[in-house]
Amino acid sequence: MSFDPSFMWTAFLSLFKALPTTLFITIISVAAGLVIGTIVALARLYRIPVLSQLASAYVTFVRGTPMLMHLLLIYFGLPIIIDGIAGLVGSSFTSASIPLLAFACIAFSITAGAYMSEVVRAGILAVDKGQIEAAHAVGMTTPQALRRIVFPQALAVSLPNLSNSVIGMLHGSTLAYTISVIEINAQAQIVAADNWKYFEAYLAAALLFWGLTVLIERMSGWLEYRLNRFQRGGAA
Amino acid sequence: MIQLEGIRKSFGKQQVLGGINLTVQKGEVVVILGPSGSGKTTLLRCINYLERPDQGVIQIGNQKLEGKHPGRSEIHRLRQRTAMVFQQYNLFKHKTALENVMEGLTIVRGVPRDTAAEIGIEMLEKVGLGDRLHYYPSQLSGGQQQRVGIARALALNPEVILFDEPTSALDPELVGEVLEVIRRIAEEGITMIIVTHEMGFARDVASRVVFMDGGAIIEQGTPDDIFQRPREERTRQFLRRITPEANYSI
Ligand SMILES: Nc1ncnc2c1ncn2[C@@H]1O[C@H](COP(=O)(O)OP(=O)(O)OP(=O)(O)O)[C@@H](O)[C@H]1O
Ligand SMILES: [Mg+2]
Repeated sequence: MSFDPSFMWTAFLSLFKALPTTLFITIISVAAGLVIGTIVALARLYRIPVLSQLASAYVTFVRGTPMLMHLLLIYFGLPIIIDGIAGLVGSSFTSASIPLLAFACIAFSITAGAYMSEVVRAGILAVDKGQIEAAHAVGMTTPQALRRIVFPQALAVSLPNLSNSVIGMLHGSTLAYTISVIEINAQAQIVAADNWKYFEAYLAAALLFWGLTVLIERMSGWLEYRLNRFQRGGAA
Repeated sequence: MIQLEGIRKSFGKQQVLGGINLTVQKGEVVVILGPSGSGKTTLLRCINYLERPDQGVIQIGNQKLEGKHPGRSEIHRLRQRTAMVFQQYNLFKHKTALENVMEGLTIVRGVPRDTAAEIGIEMLEKVGLGDRLHYYPSQLSGGQQQRVGIARALALNPEVILFDEPTSALDPELVGEVLEVIRRIAEEGITMIIVTHEMGFARDVASRVVFMDGGAIIEQGTPDDIFQRPREERTRQFLRRITPEANYSI
């Protein structure tokens, strides 16, 4: 069997069909992860009783277990819970009507939330305490101070870490193939098996992921440049 | 009018304020002196509840707060009556000079943006920074940053401005420009409580000088009372230590 570069083009075209699924999973899990991560980080930073202990347990469990396990636990566990509740309230809803994609999004949001909470926490801790004191001193409430003063500065310092998280979730999204979601990796497998050309198909998939990763890095670099304008010093 | 009654504060086992009573009339400029660790900063921070006193009553205007557990909204209202100028300036780093001054007006007071911008420009001009409106803090000298800090406080038109060693972090050659600005606004009749180690300035600007040591007010009076005729030995010791010129002239 020899390398067939021309097949890579065929593979590419076929992979593009799965691109939206990969992007969808990545974007949803990153967005939800950011929300979960922020709530978790704040609960821990402000030592909110009960919530902060729950948050710590969540973070250590998720970070202490493989991402694949989160997916499998949700995939097999969530239907039990949902069907159980539906049975209790006498609803006719069954977990069978939930699209597979939803399981992947939920599981990966949980994964992303734990990892991103650490990123958000580090970002908030990097903001000088004097900033929030000054915000309070001009009369802002804590939520106002967080929104207007702390988060923008925390975001500027955490961009490199955030972009790593996004890349991690992009690459991790390939695991969705294990529950039969057709993302890029699963599509590569399909096109490879149909034509018995595995190396070319996976190489095409790898190049596609590489391209996406470079794109994310570029965007993050550009954003970082823009958001950090304020600390560059020098003349205006 | 500001009235503090029996303010106590401890950090762990260490008592930092041991029952402070202090009344400041409208338009007064009260300068607080005292050795390092005597509780000056802590007292100032209790006034706007950046630090919660363990005990005591703080009254500003017609609002009274008591002890450790006032509600969040009460603290929020109290803070709107005060403004603070910090030793480390604490300008909002991601905002320009003008945005720093406008922030409290638009976000807290609900002033429309264009009105807030007018006020902001006026205040920055007042502190001599009319040509630096759109500079970020990182693009300003320490003295300029602190003057923005003062403009930010002034813009809120508070019942009292609290200054915590506003010039201590500055290079010596920049101290003068900041003190000059404070001196000028003091003449406008704005109530101020100033912690400083600048004795000449204290003497000039103060309508009353308060000397603190060990978390207590040891004595207070006019600048002349304190600097020329201190009654307490501890005050004399302190003044001897920080005005070395007096020693040389012997
Ligand atoms: N957050 C804190 N936790 C623990 N101890 C504190 C805290 N803040 C202040 N202290 C202690 O309280 C005492 C009084 O501090 P404070 O900062 O009020 O003194 P100060 O008079 O402002 O001194 P300086 O002239 O050096 O600024 C000091 O012994 C200090 O170590
Ligand atoms: Mg101090």
